[in-house]
Order: sequence, then structure tokens, then C-alpha cells
Amino acid sequence: MLPDANEIRTLLAGSGVDAEVDTVLLGTVARVQAADAIDALAAFRADGYESLVDFDGMDTGEAIELTWRLRSYSMDCEAYLKTTVPYDAEIHSAWNIYASALMPERETAELLGLRLAGHPNPKRLFTTDGIPPLLRKDVPIRSVEEVKNR
Amino acid sequence: MALDRLTGENSLLFIRSEQLFDLARTNSLWYISFGIACCAIEGLMSASGPRFDFDRSGVFFRNSPRQADVMIVAGTVNVKMADTVRRLYEQMPEPRWVVAMGACASTGGPFREYPNVVMGVDKVIPVDVYIPGCPPRPESVQYAFIELRKKIRAKTEERLAARRERD
Amino acid sequence: MSDARDDIVTVGLLAEGMHDPGVPPAGIRRAPTGVDDLATEHLIVNMGPQHPSTHGVLRMLVELDGEEVKNAEVTLGYLHRGIEKLAEHRRFDALGTLMDRGDYVSGIMGETAVALAVEQLMEIEVPRRARWIRVMMAELNRIATHLLWYGTMGLDTGAMGPFLYAMRDRESLLDILEAVSGARMMFNYVRPGGVVADLPVSIEAKIREFCDAFDTYVDEHDAILAGNEIFQARLDGIGVIDAEMALAFGLTGPNLRASGVDFDLRKRRPYDAYDEMIFDVPLGVTGDAMDRFSVRMEEMRQSSRIIRQCIEGMPEGGYTAKVPKVLKPPAGEVYASVESARGEVGIHLVTDGGTSPYRMHYHGPSLYALQALEDLMPGYLLADGCIMIGSADIMLGEVDR
Repeated sequence: MLPDANEIRTLLAGSGVDAEVDTVLLGTVARVQAADAIDALAAFRADGYESLVDFDGMDTGEAIELTWRLRSYSMDCEAYLKTTVPYDAEIHSAWNIYASALMPERETAELLGLRLAGHPNPKRLFTTDGIPPLLRKDVPIRSVEEVKNR
Repeated sequence: MALDRLTGENSLLFIRSEQLFDLARTNSLWYISFGIACCAIEGLMSASGPRFDFDRSGVFFRNSPRQADVMIVAGTVNVKMADTVRRLYEQMPEPRWVVAMGACASTGGPFREYPNVVMGVDKVIPVDVYIPGCPPRPESVQYAFIELRKKIRAKTEERLAARRERD
Repeated sequence: MSDARDDIVTVGLLAEGMHDPGVPPAGIRRAPTGVDDLATEHLIVNMGPQHPSTHGVLRMLVELDGEEVKNAEVTLGYLHRGIEKLAEHRRFDALGTLMDRGDYVSGIMGETAVALAVEQLMEIEVPRRARWIRVMMAELNRIATHLLWYGTMGLDTGAMGPFLYAMRDRESLLDILEAVSGARMMFNYVRPGGVVADLPVSIEAKIREFCDAFDTYVDEHDAILAGNEIFQARLDGIGVIDAEMALAFGLTGPNLRASGVDFDLRKRRPYDAYDEMIFDVPLGVTGDAMDRFSVRMEEMRQSSRIIRQCIEGMPEGGYTAKVPKVLKPPAGEVYASVESARGEVGIHLVTDGGTSPYRMHYHGPSLYALQALEDLMPGYLLADGCIMIGSADIMLGEVDR
């Protein structure tokens, strides 16, 4: 179910966060500056969005776009929070607002080449040392020749 | 091939020790229960379930590599897993055999293009039998064990022939 | 008969410089004196990645004080094979093959999630029969998944028999799934627009036969484990996840419902034909391992109920909508989620108008359950930790992706 865009606009404005809120095909999306992301998450949490159900990142070709998917079980609705950070940026962990961010943050930071700040265990999650951030668009997959001459 | 069928009742049997051991080995190939991915459900769990019931042919799972003869590599081996696979293989006592089950363990399968995936477990440890399929059916795994038996018997024959020539 | 004290001295139990306990009372060989200045230290034990009770290639480092877990760390990545990256190089109708291998026991649900995402983008209207077939296949698959979990749950508690009974039922289920889709595990049956083939003739009778048998078998399964006193003692009060913790760790599916939160995507966000089905959503009370067990057992009964409704009221019509050979959704961004056997499987699909996705994020519920385990295990015994892993139903294929 979609929450009202205006409600989220007032909710975020109330905690001093500049946000563009739109209802698109994805759902109700709030777009904030990278520095405000943690404040925005705290505002969502205080407003009754109890659970962070998904967190992922995407390489847009110019920057990394992060998406938080929040769900309120009491209001029965989902909201999305988006922000954009440059490559190799440092993102601040949201784990003390939403505990479920612990591992997805490590995964996203590792596979998209970001650094984590304020995380209790900012180690690599999936790959071993020396493997490039694999979800970046500039990291290619193996070519057909490489696979054929294995 | 049971011994009594070879000999008959109340008879004596003269057999070379390695022939005897290989005979015993072919009929009790214990595999290490080491499931990596999807193939483990088919090759290890369904296989030990009631329908396919590998136990009746002496194929049974052991939880420790030190008690196992065969390692079924059931799934995609990636760079992080490769070390573990090699270590488990080295812990198995000689003689030991490896069955590469499914496309992933044979060549990398549907994931071969991903840089983190090892293109076939034969890059890490030597493989005796490859099973095609994604995932292979439990029957294929049964067939792989029949092939493995043939291979062990052929090895015995080879060794005996070499000795005959030498003598 | 010689004096007991002499025995002790002669076998060297009283080492030099040790406190002489004196003459012990009759019946015991010596009074316990304790060992002075023996330092105790925590032991770090490595479980996995090859461990019989970790359900795949999960590796845990646990810090033990005696047998009590003091700290636990989950190490992942032993099955990381790039489903998300490879999806960027696959066509839209081939994404299902990757999703099958993500959560490799419940393939139909993963395929449905991708199909729903593509359908949302392309605004495809799926025929009613196709939606009903999807629901029926998903529920058959849910039972197969839960049966495998049930079997391994028995193995985790040291019971071998339930595994064999569960596999018997699972094989007859896989026969049905194979007759419909052509494969035992990697179905690739649900495609954007509908399903790939119609139901074969006379499959209804087979499914009905299975349901009739299963309705009695499931009670037997329940009785074998849940009626066992040892099993109850090992599960009751172990790994309590209360509602607040479940929400904080983002748990979904049966794990969340065992904590008493009434949220089922099939009811709250009905996709396919779930809005036409009648079924109950079982809930737990305390959120311990026993509740997670009972919720899953009850879910199997409800799934059987849905399957019966499907074969009774299967509508006529086409099994797929008219879709182009090469799918080319317009540029956009959608999120589709389905209720898989383990929780909410979400697909965040971003397209740029090409024939393959720009980015596909695969949200697996097991990763979130694992984080909760890391927090949950300290304070319990190591053996209880295995129960918690078993009761949370972890699938490493969708954790590592």
C-alpha cells in the first residue's frame, strides 16, 4: 500500500530534511541528500516505520544510488528512501536505527566499492581480499573466449 | 559382486591383497556429506532418501572427511570456497575419489562468467567422474558411482597386469 | 581388600605438592579438591562451511565459555556466485533460471517475483488460468520446501526417521512438479506473461490423490516430532525472537509470524490469484523455536487447502498472455515481492529500455534471519544454536546470491 506523499513530505520537513517526494511506479519515493539520509531514516523510524525490509545500491554510471525500503506494519504501507553518493564515498551506517541494515550495508559497501563509517563490523561479507567491487559497471564479467578456453 | 558368488560354499580363496581391498572398496564407497549448493539437495539428500536409497549399494554419507572415500562436489565452487574444498580433499585418506556433480562443478555452469566463480572444481582438485546436468537427477549420481566402480576395477587390473609383466 | 587410599597413591592420582584430601568417607575414592589456579579461557570454535547442521555452506565462528555461546559471528560468501551481476547480462525471460538457483528449493516463488516485476513494467495482463496455475505450483513448492526443512529439523535434533518420511512425501510432490514443469528442482516454469505450458491432462487426479494422502501424513509428521518429549524440551523457549526484535531485524515470512506479527504478503498484498483463495495465516505467540516449528507445520496444512481450491475451481482459458518473443520493457523501476516459503522474496528491477535489466537486486529473507541469529545465539548453549539455525530455515543460496 502506498503512503501519502504529502505526509512523508511533512514528516521529513519536520526533522529538517530537504526531500523530493514523488509517487512513481516503484511506490512513494523520498529523495534526500546523502548527508541527510541518516536523519531521514531516524525520522521514518520515529514515525512508525518499524522495519527496514531491504537495502540495496545501484551503479547509475555517474554515481551510486542507494535505496532503503521501509515498511510500517502498523500503518500497513511501504516507503522508499533514495540518495546518491559519489564513487568510493564513505556512507554512514544506519544500524543503530535499523538493526537489519548490518549485513546489507556490508554487502553493498563491498560490492559497490564504498566505505562504511560507524559500523560495528565493517569487514568484507562475501568475497575475499583483492576482488574488485563486482557490481560496478566498470567491472566486466568474463568474456566468451575466456569461458571457452577455461 | 559378492565374494560368495565368486567362490561357492566352503571353499578357499586365494586373492592378492590389493585385489581384496579394491573389491571391498568398490562395494562401500562412503562419501563426505559436503553439499555446496543446489546439487546437494538432489545428490546428497534425495539420494539418501527412501526412493533412491543409495545405502543399498553401499554408498553412505560420512560427516567427517577422514572417514570418507569419495567427495561429491555438489555445487558452484567460488574463490572463497576453493581453499576449503582443497583442505577437505587433503584430509581424506588415500585412496580417494572426486565426483564433480553438475554443470557448476564441471565447468562453472550458469555462473561461469562471474569473476568470483572457479570454472570447474578440476582447477582445484583432481576429478574422477563428471556428471552433466543442472542439477543431475539422483539416478545420474547412481550411474556416476557405477562408473567410479568400473574405474577402480580397471585400476586394479592395470596394476595386476603391470606386476605380471614385471614378474 | 586393600585400602582405597593406597590405590590412589599407587596409581599416582595424588601428585607431589597437592593437597592431601585425607581419608575419604566410605563409598567414594577421594574428596573433590579442585585444582588451584586453573585459568579458564574462552574457546573459539569454527562451525562450517562443511558442517552437518548448517544447512549449506554457512560458517559461524562462536566464542564459547564451556558450552555456552558468548559471541557469534556469521561468515558468508562461500556460495557467492553473482546472481545480481549476471542478471544484467541475461534476457528478461531467462532471469527465472537464475532465480531458480538462488533459493534452490523453492524455485517457483523466485520465478514469480521476477515475472511480476517484468509484468508490472510492461503492463501485461496475465490470464486468470495462468494466475491460478501459478498459485497452485507455488503452494506445491511451498510444501516441498517445508518438508525439506522438516526433515533437516529432525536431523538437527538427532532424529533420522522424520527425514525419511519427509523425503517420501517430497518425492511424490516432485513427481507432480516434474509432470507439470519438466524438472525436479530448476523449473523455469513461470515466465513473464503467464506460465510456459498448460497443465498436463489428468494431473488433477494425481494432485488430489497427493492432497488426500498428505492431509493424514502431515498430522503424522507433526506427531512424530512435536509429540516427542525430547524434541519439545529442546525447542521450547529456545531462541525467543519477540515482535520488536523481529521487526528490528527485518524478518519476514514464517519467522516473523511466529513472533506474533500478522503479516502475510499473500493476504496483505495479494498477487496472482491469492485474493480468490480462502486460507488462514497461522501465528505464533512467544516466538521461540517451537512456535516457528508449529507455524510452518500449519502452513503446510493451509497450502494443501489452497491446492484443493485450485484444482476444484481451476478456470478455463489461456495459460499465457500474448507477449513478444524478445521482452523489452520500457525504462523504469519496480519492486515486486512475493511470499516465499522462507519469507519475502523481493526483486528490485531497474531497466533502461534494453533487452536485459540495468540492475536487479534480489532480496532474500534468509540473510535477515541470519543477522538475528548472530544477535540471538549468545547466552544459549552451542547445541541450542544448531536448533536456532534449523528453526530459522536458512537457505544459503539466497543469502550469498
